[in-house]
Amino acid sequence: MNSTSNTPNQEELRRLASREGYTFFGLTLPYLVLVIALIAIPVGWLFYLSFIGRDGTLSLENYERMWKSKAYIKIFITTFKISILTTIICAAIGYPLSYFMSQLSRKWANICMIAVLIPFWTSLLVRTYAWLVLLQKKGLINNILIESGLITEPLKFVHNTTGTLIGMVHIMLPFLILPLYANMRSIDKDCLKAASSLGATPTRAFWTVFLPLTLPGLLAGLLIVFVLCLGFYVTPAILGGGKVIMAAMKISTNIEMYFNWGAASALGVVLLVVTGIILFVASKLISLDQLGNR
Amino acid sequence: MKLGIKTAGLLAAAGLALSSASAFADELRIVSWGGAYQKGQSIGIFQPAAKAMGITVKEDTYGGISDVKLQVRSGADKFDIFSSGAGSCASGAAEGLLEKLDYSVIDVSNHLPGMYSDYCAGADIFSVVAAFNTDTFGENGPRSWADFYDVDKFPGTRAMRNRVDAQLETALLADGVPMDQVYDVLDSEEGIERALDKIRSIKPHIAVWWSSGAMHAQLMKDGEVDMTTGWNGRFDVAKEDGAKVSYDWRTGIMDWEGYGIPKGVKNKDLAMKYIAEMMKPEYMAEFAKYITYGPTNGKVYELGLMDDARARQMPSHPDNAQHQLTLKTAWYSKWRTYADEMYQEMMTE
Amino acid sequence: MKNTSLNISIENVTKKYDEFYALKDISLDITSGEFMTLLGPSGSGKTTLLMVLAGFTNPDHGSVKFGDEEVILKPPHLRGIGMVFQNYALFPHMTVEQNVGYPQKLRGVSKSEIAKTVGEALSTVKLEGLGHRRVDELSGGQRQRVALARAIVFKPKILLMDEPLSALDKKLREEMQIELRQLHDTLNMTTVYVTHDQKEALTMSDRIAVINGGELMQLGSPSEIYDHPQNGFIADFIGESSLLPAKVTNSNISIGSSKIKVAKPPEKNGDYLLVVRPEKVFLASAKKKNDDNYFQGKLLDSIFQGESQLLVIELANTENDEQTLRIRIPNQSVTDKALPAIGETVTLGLKVADSYLVS
Repeated sequence: MNSTSNTPNQEELRRLASREGYTFFGLTLPYLVLVIALIAIPVGWLFYLSFIGRDGTLSLENYERMWKSKAYIKIFITTFKISILTTIICAAIGYPLSYFMSQLSRKWANICMIAVLIPFWTSLLVRTYAWLVLLQKKGLINNILIESGLITEPLKFVHNTTGTLIGMVHIMLPFLILPLYANMRSIDKDCLKAASSLGATPTRAFWTVFLPLTLPGLLAGLLIVFVLCLGFYVTPAILGGGKVIMAAMKISTNIEMYFNWGAASALGVVLLVVTGIILFVASKLISLDQLGNR
Repeated sequence: MKLGIKTAGLLAAAGLALSSASAFADELRIVSWGGAYQKGQSIGIFQPAAKAMGITVKEDTYGGISDVKLQVRSGADKFDIFSSGAGSCASGAAEGLLEKLDYSVIDVSNHLPGMYSDYCAGADIFSVVAAFNTDTFGENGPRSWADFYDVDKFPGTRAMRNRVDAQLETALLADGVPMDQVYDVLDSEEGIERALDKIRSIKPHIAVWWSSGAMHAQLMKDGEVDMTTGWNGRFDVAKEDGAKVSYDWRTGIMDWEGYGIPKGVKNKDLAMKYIAEMMKPEYMAEFAKYITYGPTNGKVYELGLMDDARARQMPSHPDNAQHQLTLKTAWYSKWRTYADEMYQEMMTE
Repeated sequence: MKNTSLNISIENVTKKYDEFYALKDISLDITSGEFMTLLGPSGSGKTTLLMVLAGFTNPDHGSVKFGDEEVILKPPHLRGIGMVFQNYALFPHMTVEQNVGYPQKLRGVSKSEIAKTVGEALSTVKLEGLGHRRVDELSGGQRQRVALARAIVFKPKILLMDEPLSALDKKLREEMQIELRQLHDTLNMTTVYVTHDQKEALTMSDRIAVINGGELMQLGSPSEIYDHPQNGFIADFIGESSLLPAKVTNSNISIGSSKIKVAKPPEKNGDYLLVVRPEKVFLASAKKKNDDNYFQGKLLDSIFQGESQLLVIELANTENDEQTLRIRIPNQSVTDKALPAIGETVTLGLKVADSYLVS
């Protein structure tokens, strides 16, 4: 019995509760260490480096260069253009596909899901080179089109924006489908029946009920795809033929060719900040949507 | 996020490298570019030379002079010798990343003129040439840089490198600058701009900016472009594989590859001796059997270590060399960073 | 809020999944303004029939008419029915008002008219003032009312309900049963109500259609179905009952050694079941033990259940040794008369009018 309190066991139970708290904190410790070692410290260093000029002193030259140089502005425009286009195309292809899968029986939906995920298990490099082989001037697709008489001159599918988009959409599609499909699966099918029984045509039911209910999944998917696209390197490097230069490629050039860690870090910081802003805005949008206050 | 991960990875690698055990006293680690090139080096030079000295040499590939910088700046200890182009070596030396080579140990007395520097011992000679598709043009393809830039006379798609190296020279040669004045003209911002403008004039016809030797060889093999700048050895290998590709030595810009030692390696003395061994003509002759990159050591020809037919395929053969411009490494250590930035801007415009 | 309503006529509706009949040649006429309950255990086909009416399931053949109009080929959104789903199927991204106003908005009703009708519908279901709430802020009962308001706001002539009360707790469910019935009487729309809860069906319906195995087994008013089930399944399914095997030989009916008389003796000899409702059995004096319609047995268990006392009795003199009978005595009489003790032998009586045989 506790002498300072007249309530039995109060102190002991309080201590028991706080001990449980420490135990749970202890469980997160390995992850915390990992985050600090692999994310917090490197990102901090990244910020620091971005303010170091070529002569080794503190300076803003790395950021000045970005808005003064035409090439840097062009690279940012390209990065965002490619990311936005990839995201839109992924949505245009992924949304109907997810819907189709969500309407199948579990068994067939799982088979479809495996088909969607197979590309995930294949090396990104392999898939990108496979597209190069298929899409090039004398590649399979152009050969078929020419032999079938549909075209006379080979189409330029690759070494340009088109090729980059094809490759990136292929890689990004599962990232859009996964959250969207899960979202669609979780929707009460009776909601659509209800809309229909209340007089909504299938089109009307889609726009007024189904689409709003899938917005959280769609936004999550779009966000993942867009953010991943911003940092893309391999696919635009191979399928863009040197004509599609994205930020990550410039970062690599800055390090490999110019040893300019400052300029590379500044680009990284800008990408990181932009991504952070997008995530912040999107998280507001998604949570608002889930609250139903639109 | 890609950059974050990449940077973190590099940092982690650097950290691990700090603690890793250094090499044994009779072991050296050498890095090169992989592929057909390193295969030739390994069979022809690296392993026979190691065997002759009774030491172990471990090979790996690397990503270029930036890896040397990473090793030196982070105090890591991952390799003792690297194989590198003369230009990159020169810029690495300018940053103070390299050990000065001891030419009392390394014998370069028989090297062809200019084929070694204080920090880089020349090992093979290659050329940047204008290759063209013989399906498109027959044998009457672009045989000079003027032809390469003449889109009316030679219509078709072109490819150039996504780096400045040996590209500006082609523009000035096409613009009518005599060979011996090319680097004088390039020795100013205006001269560089003149070369870039010339490239701009054919930019709509440049379908691809290539990033590696494997890539430009493949572009020609697949007929993806009708002509490209690139390394002669890769085209020769592609041709042996049946690619419809040809080039003229008159478009050649001769450059050389050599060995350097990163600053601060523990096995510096052994590395120096090993480089000295690798400079022997018999190794260079053996290497040249695998890829058409010529020896820097003149003894190879004097001793008749290479048959005449093979010798004639080398960029450095007098018959071929006489038509070519020799790449000036001094210009690269002075201008490369600036010129490449301008070149990148031109590409992205 | 008075509606005109429509009669529904279902003819020969059959729906087969592979070899399994979900609906087997069902014909059913539902009169205008009627509260019709489709009652059956799960998997009986009652929900399938409702979905056929709503247009979400197409039968293999058959006809469904609303009034004189054949609707079997009409898509659901053109059938003009109000429907309440088992889990309410409210739109989670809309407020209560938006949910209830949804069908009106689809019909192009003006904003002021929508506000007015939504207000009326919400007051009909006693949800005034909750229009701005989000759906997830409501209790189960409130959601149920929103779903109902949404289904009636556009004054449909036919209202379909698919087990609408099954997710509610017992007390609320019983309140809602009465309320729904009152609402039906006010609105007067033809209502088809699906449930597996026989008590709910008995409480609410004008008529009940008992469905099992995809077939319509019996159609009638609650009292008809309760008092005169057509077979053992219905007798067992509807209400509490004990089924005692009975033998009919030349108009003589016997259960073991006991003789009984029934209101409507069957014409054929054979094996039947006597349907014994627990509340219809009474305790009698031991003197009557050998009379017709009296049984003797041992009291196995006596359970206090609030409003009544449940007695479990093992019958003597039956072919089956383990034959038990449940009887229910209102608690009023418990206080009047001492209950038999467990283990005691008791004599039970059943009036001829309450004795009913099924095959």
